[in-house]
Amino acid sequence: MKPQKIKFDFVSSATLDEKPKSLRINFILNKVKNGTILVTDGVLKPEEEIDLIKETMRRVDDGFPGIEVASLKKPAKGMLNFVEKMADQKEKIQSLFAGLAGQTFEKTSMRTGLTLIGPARFIKKVKKNPNSFSVLAEV
Amino acid sequence: MPLDKFFDWFYTLFGLKKTVRLGIYGSVNTGKTTLANRISKDWTGQEVGKASPIPHETRFVQKKEKIHIKHRGKNLTINLLDMPGIATKIDYRQFLKYGLSKKAARQRAKEATDGVIEAIKWLNNVDTVLAVMDATQDPLTQVNVTLLGNLEARKIPVIIVANKIDKRRADPDAIRDAFPQYPVVEVSALKGKNVGQLYEVIAKHAKGAK
Repeated sequence: MKPQKIKFDFVSSATLDEKPKSLRINFILNKVKNGTILVTDGVLKPEEEIDLIKETMRRVDDGFPGIEVASLKKPAKGMLNFVEKMADQKEKIQSLFAGLAGQTFEKTSMRTGLTLIGPARFIKKVKKNPNSFSVLAEV
Repeated sequence: MPLDKFFDWFYTLFGLKKTVRLGIYGSVNTGKTTLANRISKDWTGQEVGKASPIPHETRFVQKKEKIHIKHRGKNLTINLLDMPGIATKIDYRQFLKYGLSKKAARQRAKEATDGVIEAIKWLNNVDTVLAVMDATQDPLTQVNVTLLGNLEARKIPVIIVANKIDKRRADPDAIRDAFPQYPVVEVSALKGKNVGQLYEVIAKHAKGAK
């Protein structure tokens, strides 16, 4: 029997940060739906992660039952916490002005951390701990 | 919509809001509908929906409006919203194990994916959330973390319900350890254990509760 293969793509958070929100989710799901496990040195914001789940549900079919996600966010303390809060406020203000102008604000940056997103047909189990996670995949 | 939110904020600010939209959220098969039925039956004598061991039994938002809760001198009127379970994957093949035909399983999977999307959309329209977790399972799942993160970002008060404590393997302390920043109430929705305590916590923490 021919051994099956799994492809891992390690993508920098800077690459994902460059993309507007909708394109970022599209980029992730296109890779994962093709069977790739994506790993990045960043964490999606909760609002974006729930959008990822929503978009995944729209794409579920017989060959793609969905995704498994595991992430570890670097605890935001001291200066990092301040910087993240300021960045959030800046994005909220930009989003507000974009909304007033009838536009959609699409630029958000990821948080510091680690994320793995893979196809549920390969990833059978994710065990999360506060400071680590392990992933069991099967082909 | 922004106008709705403004009035919502205004009424809440001045204590004029009388009805709290209480959303019951959580992963699949954590006992959300059993809990919704327990709350609704306690105060109206009627159930909200059908609970079942087959995953994704609730695939549409089920509502029970104007439930008046009176507990230890506190009054609260809630619109109870029982949400479909949130999941990152739905495979129609899982339903075949429960005796469903392939066609019925595919249909159920389609409705379940729509249900997840609907539940997520409703996050913008709830005042307070009961995040239901199965106390026999590992609470540190990505669905739980994502759900709580979203509620926090939206500033929606959350009460974690550690359900199924009637089961031998239940470990509600694992839920407290995983999410120490939230109030946790351990209950058995099925047996009605500790539900009185849950009403007390709802009356204390719900947005708009007086």
